[in-house]
Amino acid sequence: MTPLALERRAEFRAGQRAILPSLPGAAAWGLVSGVAMVKGGLSVPWAILMSLTVYAGSAQLAALPLIATGMPLWVIVATGLATNLRFVIYSAALRPYFAELAARRRAALGFFMTDFTFTLFMRHAQEGTLPPQHRDAWFSGVCANNWITWQTSAITGIVAASYIPTDWGLEFTGTLALIALVGPALTTRPAIVGGAVSAVVALLAHPIPYRLGLFVAAIAGIVAATLADRWQPAVSTRETGSP
Amino acid sequence: MNDPVAGIALAAVIVGLALSTFVTRTSFLLAGGRLRLNHRIETALRFAPVCTLMAIIVPDVLLHGQGSIDFSPLNPRLIGGVASALWLCWSRGILGCLATGMIAYSLSRVLL
Repeated sequence: MTPLALERRAEFRAGQRAILPSLPGAAAWGLVSGVAMVKGGLSVPWAILMSLTVYAGSAQLAALPLIATGMPLWVIVATGLATNLRFVIYSAALRPYFAELAARRRAALGFFMTDFTFTLFMRHAQEGTLPPQHRDAWFSGVCANNWITWQTSAITGIVAASYIPTDWGLEFTGTLALIALVGPALTTRPAIVGGAVSAVVALLAHPIPYRLGLFVAAIAGIVAATLADRWQPAVSTRETGSP
Repeated sequence: MNDPVAGIALAAVIVGLALSTFVTRTSFLLAGGRLRLNHRIETALRFAPVCTLMAIIVPDVLLHGQGSIDFSPLNPRLIGGVASALWLCWSRGILGCLATGMIAYSLSRVLL
């Protein structure tokens, strides 16, 4: 193997390792989603097909009651789009990192991007230790493990739905895994301001259905963080009295 | 759902949902240079992970059940979330954070 291929393989493995500790959260959330699909009225083969092709837990769960009540196709797709709107923000944030790649490769990376894999990638990319030419290899490693874990646990949930207790609150593991991801990022003032604003807006906007509140909250948080970032140096130059 | 008409309808729903995910996830990635935000906005997006995660986590923890905000100290999700956050302040270990949070959450569901 060429040295370049070896380097890329090493980055892929590093990505696979980076997501390992978060995988219990992905597994629990996948399992609970799989069970919910079958309990929501889908037969086993359809539920498996949906898990493999849609690969978006919150959109699948939002669509279930609409499918069960026989809502028109466009309503279900519109609900899916609304629930997935946050991915547009993620996609815009990832664009500069992968702009050099071929379109087919960018489409593949986009397909495998989730809340978990996006967050891990952004954090690692901003640490500055990831060689730019190997970004996609590292991200692919993260995505591969996340996809395998999610699909394995979702399909387990689908096949064994009637044996899996739904009242243990397993899905809370997913929330905890997100807490573990966000914790280390809450160290700078703009991040804390943005996170706080985003949390408050998300709480106030929760009556808005289909995770649209989440989209609004994320935008508000990003604006607040940017303002906090910009005002910080302005205040300090005034304090030091420089012209 | 064994009736063929329902099967075709369900297939259409799955294709539609898969497209809704694919289109949103690849939107800016695939548009490449054609659809491009200005540089200041792209720089601001470095705060996207923190902001979206907080917007997912905080309602998950505080809005359990009927959708009303539950700040009560007896809310098991709040107890679990705080326990996991305290663990993170002490150690960076993710597995320990998950274990601490789940133990605190489960215990408070059983005991409170």
